[in-house]
Amino acid sequence: MTTQTQPVTEAPVHGATEAAPAIELKHAARWYGNVVAVNDITFSLGPGVTGLLGPNGAGKTTLLHMLAGFLGPSAGEVLVLGRSPHRDPSVYRQIGLVPEREAVYPFMTGLEYVRFNARLQGMPDADKAARDAIAMVGLTDAQDRAVGTYSKGMRQRAKVAGALVHDPQVLLLDEPFNGMDPRQRIAMMDLLGQLADRGRTILFSSHILEEVERIGTEILVIVAGRLAASGDFRAIRALMTDRPHNITIRSSDDRRLATALIADPAVFAVELQSDRLSIQTSHLSAFRRLIAGASRKADVRLLEVASSDESLESVFDYLVRR
Amino acid sequence: MRGIALNSSIAVIPEIVSVTLRQLLGRRRAILLLLLATVPILLAILFRLADVHRIGAFTAGIMDAVALTMLLPLVAILFGTAAFGSEIDDGTAVYLLAKPIGRWAIVLAKLIAAVAVTLILTVASAGIAGAIALQPYGEEGAEAARGFMAAMAVGSVCYVTLFMALSLFTRRALVVAIAYWLIWEGLLSSLLAGIANLSVRQYALGVAGGFYKLSANEARVAPSTALTLAIVLVVVATVVAIWKLMRFELPGGD
Repeated sequence: MTTQTQPVTEAPVHGATEAAPAIELKHAARWYGNVVAVNDITFSLGPGVTGLLGPNGAGKTTLLHMLAGFLGPSAGEVLVLGRSPHRDPSVYRQIGLVPEREAVYPFMTGLEYVRFNARLQGMPDADKAARDAIAMVGLTDAQDRAVGTYSKGMRQRAKVAGALVHDPQVLLLDEPFNGMDPRQRIAMMDLLGQLADRGRTILFSSHILEEVERIGTEILVIVAGRLAASGDFRAIRALMTDRPHNITIRSSDDRRLATALIADPAVFAVELQSDRLSIQTSHLSAFRRLIAGASRKADVRLLEVASSDESLESVFDYLVRR
Repeated sequence: MRGIALNSSIAVIPEIVSVTLRQLLGRRRAILLLLLATVPILLAILFRLADVHRIGAFTAGIMDAVALTMLLPLVAILFGTAAFGSEIDDGTAVYLLAKPIGRWAIVLAKLIAAVAVTLILTVASAGIAGAIALQPYGEEGAEAARGFMAAMAVGSVCYVTLFMALSLFTRRALVVAIAYWLIWEGLLSSLLAGIANLSVRQYALGVAGGFYKLSANEARVAPSTALTLAIVLVVVATVVAIWKLMRFELPGGD
């Protein structure tokens, strides 16, 4: 695993070292006037699923649009399957793109929409390819309904079917799990995993840590346009969770609870305030186990346990500062 | 643009035309435009009932002032700006653009669809109105009707191409097109003789003048010049639209 606070010079992620990488960024940057959306990013990806993680506004969509050829880099180089995708429509034979915006032609049925994508890809049997793709995302029962009547999660699945109907080598998905219920998410994650097993390179963006957890064994963390970390998810997750946390507790007897907690090495500061306890811990998971046992042992009733810095932005901030 | 076979781009044109037609002919827009297209027909019925007996009153007062100057630009603005504009606005353009298709084929397909609906609606409106009002005038009436049908056809192609190209440059294409129609075509081209060579309305009237004798005040451009300028406009606007689409960028947003 690598984590960086400065521009990454070389960050091969999935299988990229074994063969020519499917996706490669070399000091890529993109700015709009004075606003820098993507700043000096370098990484390469091979077959597998990679999660592109970052808070809203981090530059994930800009990065995906650069990879999809819809934005040229202001500096550096962006390569997909060894060539620049910018202003080269022929690259779309090998790329499938699921955009973040959820609009899909509302007047088409799901099957018509996916078949339309297959025909534009010049597939010889567009109807069969469309039906197969629809089945892969589990939309067969609703394939003859107008997309305008679909739920948000169903529209997302129709978009994914449209993007993978031509079996692309590289699949780019921008927030693909938006609007999906937990069951649909799991099914979609499994599907992406299967595609990766067949040698496809899949990059999906998300601002939700838990979405990445299930499939993205490798992740890229992007914050304020910079690559903050890249590598194995579990190691980065540990970094994210085992950072100093501030926790406030209200209980039936704050003083007695403070005495019980301070003895544990997971706690390195306790502050007794007028109506609450303020705790600092470096191991959130260990503290969660500790607090339950300590309160029971001290015969103290817990009224409230809250983390004051659990927002994803604060997690990313922490990663950048490291 | 490497690696895209001409045949594969040509093969998808009917598919894109069909989807664009479905987009353009949404129920509300279709009803509104059908209602607009009936206006010249209703006026033609009134003209016939009023028994005016002046062919020039109908060609100038209804065919030119209503059908050519108001109905045609309005229909062309709505279809021309929506052919690409609505897809760019709602984000569905990406499904079309992220495909291995020559950008020229996408522009051509959009043009075919938008021109077809504009042309059918406006030419039919002028044809029916002309048949109703000009039937008593024999061959002269038929020539006038044919002239304005040709004018509507030429005007449809010019306006739609122009407004479609415009929609690739600005998200406010509808507003800019309406301003162009009211200020340039409506006001300045009538007041300033020099602008006649740069006015779609004058090209259309010029073409009508090739079928039927219009007054010098009405048709300021000779038929052959009008047709040549119209072709130049359509070719230039199409090339500009293709050029712009090749450089189309999706915003980052996040």
